[in-house]
Amino acid sequence: MDLNALIACLASSACLVTQTTSGLIIGMLLFLVAVGLTLIFGVLKVVNFSHGAFYMFGAYFAMTTYQITGSFAAAMLCGAAGTAILGLIFERVFMSRVYGADVLMQLLVCYAFVLIFDDVVRMVWGPEFKSMGMPTAFQVMPLFIAGGVVPPYYLLLIGVALVAAIVLGAGLSRTRIGKVVRAAAHNPSMTSALGINTGLIYGGVFALGGMLAGLAGALAAPVRSLTPGMGFSVLIESFIVTVIGGMGSILGALIGALLIGLIRSFGSLGFPLFTEGLMYLFMVIVLVSRPTGLFGKEVA
Amino acid sequence: MTRTRKPGISRRSSLALMGAGLATLAAPWAARAQAKAIKVGMPTILSGRVAQLGTSSRNAVLLEVERVNATGGLAGRPIEMVIRDSKGQPQEAARVARELVNTDGCELLIDAEASSGAFAVHEVARDLGVLCIHTNSETSSLTADPKQRIPNAFRTARQGVHDSIVGGSYAASIAKAKGLKKWATCSPDYAYGRDTTGEFVLYLKRFAPDVEIISESWPKLFQPDYTEVVTKVLQARPQALYTCLWGGDLTSYIDQANIYALFGQMEVFAVNMADYTALTVVKNLPKGIHSGNRYIKTYPSTPENAAWGDAYKAKYGEYPTNWSWENATAIMLLAEASKKANSADGKKIAEAMRGLTIKSPFGTDGTVTMRADDQTLVGYAIGWGTTIPQEPYVPEVKPGDWKTIFELEAEWKKSNGYS
Amino acid sequence: MTELQAAPRGKPLNLPRLETRARYRDALTAIVAFVVLASLPLFFDSKALLDFVIRCSAFGLFATSLNLLVGYTGMISFGHGMFFGLGAYSFGLIMQKTGVPIPVAFIATLVLSAVAAAVIGAICVRLKEIYFAFVTLAFQMLIHSTILSWVSLTGGDQGLRGGIPRPVFLGIDLGNQVHLYVASCALLVIGLLLMRQIAQSPFGYTLRMIRDNAARASFVGIDVWRAKLTIFVLAALFASTGGVIMSLFVSGAYPEFAYWTISGEGIFINMLGGVTTFLGPMLGTVLFLILNDTVTRFTEYHGIVLGIVILFFAIGLRKGLMDFAIEWYAARRGRGEQA
Repeated sequence: MDLNALIACLASSACLVTQTTSGLIIGMLLFLVAVGLTLIFGVLKVVNFSHGAFYMFGAYFAMTTYQITGSFAAAMLCGAAGTAILGLIFERVFMSRVYGADVLMQLLVCYAFVLIFDDVVRMVWGPEFKSMGMPTAFQVMPLFIAGGVVPPYYLLLIGVALVAAIVLGAGLSRTRIGKVVRAAAHNPSMTSALGINTGLIYGGVFALGGMLAGLAGALAAPVRSLTPGMGFSVLIESFIVTVIGGMGSILGALIGALLIGLIRSFGSLGFPLFTEGLMYLFMVIVLVSRPTGLFGKEVA
Repeated sequence: MTRTRKPGISRRSSLALMGAGLATLAAPWAARAQAKAIKVGMPTILSGRVAQLGTSSRNAVLLEVERVNATGGLAGRPIEMVIRDSKGQPQEAARVARELVNTDGCELLIDAEASSGAFAVHEVARDLGVLCIHTNSETSSLTADPKQRIPNAFRTARQGVHDSIVGGSYAASIAKAKGLKKWATCSPDYAYGRDTTGEFVLYLKRFAPDVEIISESWPKLFQPDYTEVVTKVLQARPQALYTCLWGGDLTSYIDQANIYALFGQMEVFAVNMADYTALTVVKNLPKGIHSGNRYIKTYPSTPENAAWGDAYKAKYGEYPTNWSWENATAIMLLAEASKKANSADGKKIAEAMRGLTIKSPFGTDGTVTMRADDQTLVGYAIGWGTTIPQEPYVPEVKPGDWKTIFELEAEWKKSNGYS
Repeated sequence: MTELQAAPRGKPLNLPRLETRARYRDALTAIVAFVVLASLPLFFDSKALLDFVIRCSAFGLFATSLNLLVGYTGMISFGHGMFFGLGAYSFGLIMQKTGVPIPVAFIATLVLSAVAAAVIGAICVRLKEIYFAFVTLAFQMLIHSTILSWVSLTGGDQGLRGGIPRPVFLGIDLGNQVHLYVASCALLVIGLLLMRQIAQSPFGYTLRMIRDNAARASFVGIDVWRAKLTIFVLAALFASTGGVIMSLFVSGAYPEFAYWTISGEGIFINMLGGVTTFLGPMLGTVLFLILNDTVTRFTEYHGIVLGIVILFFAIGLRKGLMDFAIEWYAARRGRGEQA
């Protein structure tokens, strides 16, 4: 434990700004993965254990596109679009077969795909870790804000995640499609009786969730190394996020992700050897005091 | 596999017995044509995040086995490798190692496991008494701690404490020359990271007493994001940073530290940088990172080493790793020891291996030695230099001095109660 | 859950005489099973076979105890592996640090596990369904992080090194493979017998009732919280026994034993064998280990192979092998009677 370092940091604005933004960065990427998880759970009632694989594929797709085209924008686009298609196929061909079944059966199908996807990546891209490299446009000096250091690339990253959050939130609450999706989440048989193709909605939601995770992977590709199995640690953290925020709540995912980000960034100052444990501890406390998470509703 | 599992299939095992009987009858002819292959078992990690450890170990072993077999194998018996994945789980490593010996009939073991897996295989070797060469675990206590020691286990990997002594003295000389007094460390939070960092700091302070550690970060192994530890180091404003992150973790760290322009603000000492796994992967490699040599074909700068690196690349299309040379050395040592003992028997090879010095492309002076008293490799090339972003990546390596290493290592052992 | 477990509900609830007879039958089966298993080394000179059965005992106890929660009570625990790890670590540490005889260390391990399970269970069993799963997972990861961080005690990621001392007691030398084998078989058979008793006892039927309708159970005066906590602690004891066997087998304890993957494998084993029958998880264990051992032998892409097998069970059969076999048998017999 190193509480003095934590207190010293809280007293200095430079440290406060830097650590807060670093918490935001970690949190926003986590949010992109977690929001897909929570969305899929909210609508399909499926705990998508293979969600980390979409993050992984997003990163690999982006890297390959970047290597071929040299365009960062194309890389992001391919990362997101590729995983969206993958999500759609995965849901229509496999997950849709186990909706009626036990929750354990759904988990098993996901578990099977965690194993399969990791091996597929190993076959296609090889077992060694890869790096996409930072596009030259972002190879610039970091900005200094109130004495704190903030790299421009991370500003872009936070921006993209925020836009995604707002579009999702507004889309679900304001648009017609959003209403249909919420209706399908609330009462699927009634929705389908009203002549709405719930299969299409389910596939669409899965594709959307996959796309967000893929986008997170693509955004992370320039700064994180790519290996088979890279989705796993992200998956565990995004589970913590969704559970803390409340399964099925988008706002919850956002708040949960930011909390975890901040726990990481400030926890590494105060408890350098127990940062990970801190997250689990927090999760236990939230679950015990509010089993449905901070923003979850009992219906979920 | 199922042959021995269930009583119901015993008929098949009796068939196998009959087959074996026929083979025995046929043996005199077969023996004249070719001696029975000697099976060497190799549990390693071929899947998951560190699959590269297993694949580059396997590549090197197969490359060397080919050479050894071309010149008669072990005492006339060709080597047959049985290589199996432990998925990086210690209980699987133990299970696979036992199975290799008990079921597959392996007479020797090359333990290419990392970290805890190596200790698990070590217990199997203790239990079964089979000759076992650890090739990837650099944890000092595996051979330094007398409680761990068994006569049939050897190590052909680096040893953490050797690296730290050389790194500490190299870093101290830079620290003195450039006046670097405030240091920070950032290393993965597991045994290798903690031990290596602790020992590095110990020797750094010994050679440069006015050095002070002002910040420590301990990210988790395989942590995807290092932003919080990068910014933590930046807050502390040290003059120099030490890290023993490796592989994908190191490249992530460099990519993430790069966009914070960390490398312009302090001298960085990354012991595991000068390995092709990291050098060839990082796209924007900062200039002037200090690193220990892991494997580079230009150090030792001998034609033998360059030829070995090129032969490996010609066969597998990529450069060897640190794990590659450690595993290749195991096969080279086995071959030489077997020649000396004129036998392929594990016990006799072990006897011959103790204290054996062989010619090696990876030796500081062209040779490496299996030290008799703790059965670990010494005399391998060890040195530090600074990186440049293109080949040869580390143009100049300042070699470590084995005499100093031996002195300080003996002292370190004493202070740890190991001798 | 419920539709999968229709079978045991149909069993007679209150026929004491039948029950006593069933108990004798179970005990007899156990004795026969033990004699058969224990005499295997006399006929087969295969160390690999012994290793295999030892591992089956460790995982079998673990998986069957998980089924007490998942199959009988409907509590899907994602953190059952923590007790497997806890058992391995407590036993290994007690043997390394104190040097007490093995049975004492074993009992002390059980006591420790029971205390830990009671504390964790008291917090967890209040939660329902997926939230129970998550909170147990969180506890598991918390324990795993603690093992990794508490280096001075646990050895961190390197695990307990230097081997676990196995002093001879009552003429039993667990350092000897055959002795360890017989001891594992004994623990397995006794463990299974005890779990069977729990499952068939009135308490066992209370658990089924909670699984099927917790509200109804509490209306008829059952203290649901207490019953769930009791079975949580009992299951932890058997899981921890599995951990003890594993620690003896590898002569050490590693953080992987307390990692979530062990819990995941436990669930997978249960699904493979089937959760509606008592012996389903045991069959699942044997299948899982054979699958694991053979596939890793032939390919390093075992993830793909294992994944396809899982898909076959989850999408193709939609149930465990034991359930499938029993239903198939019942259907065939039914057809036979009609004809």
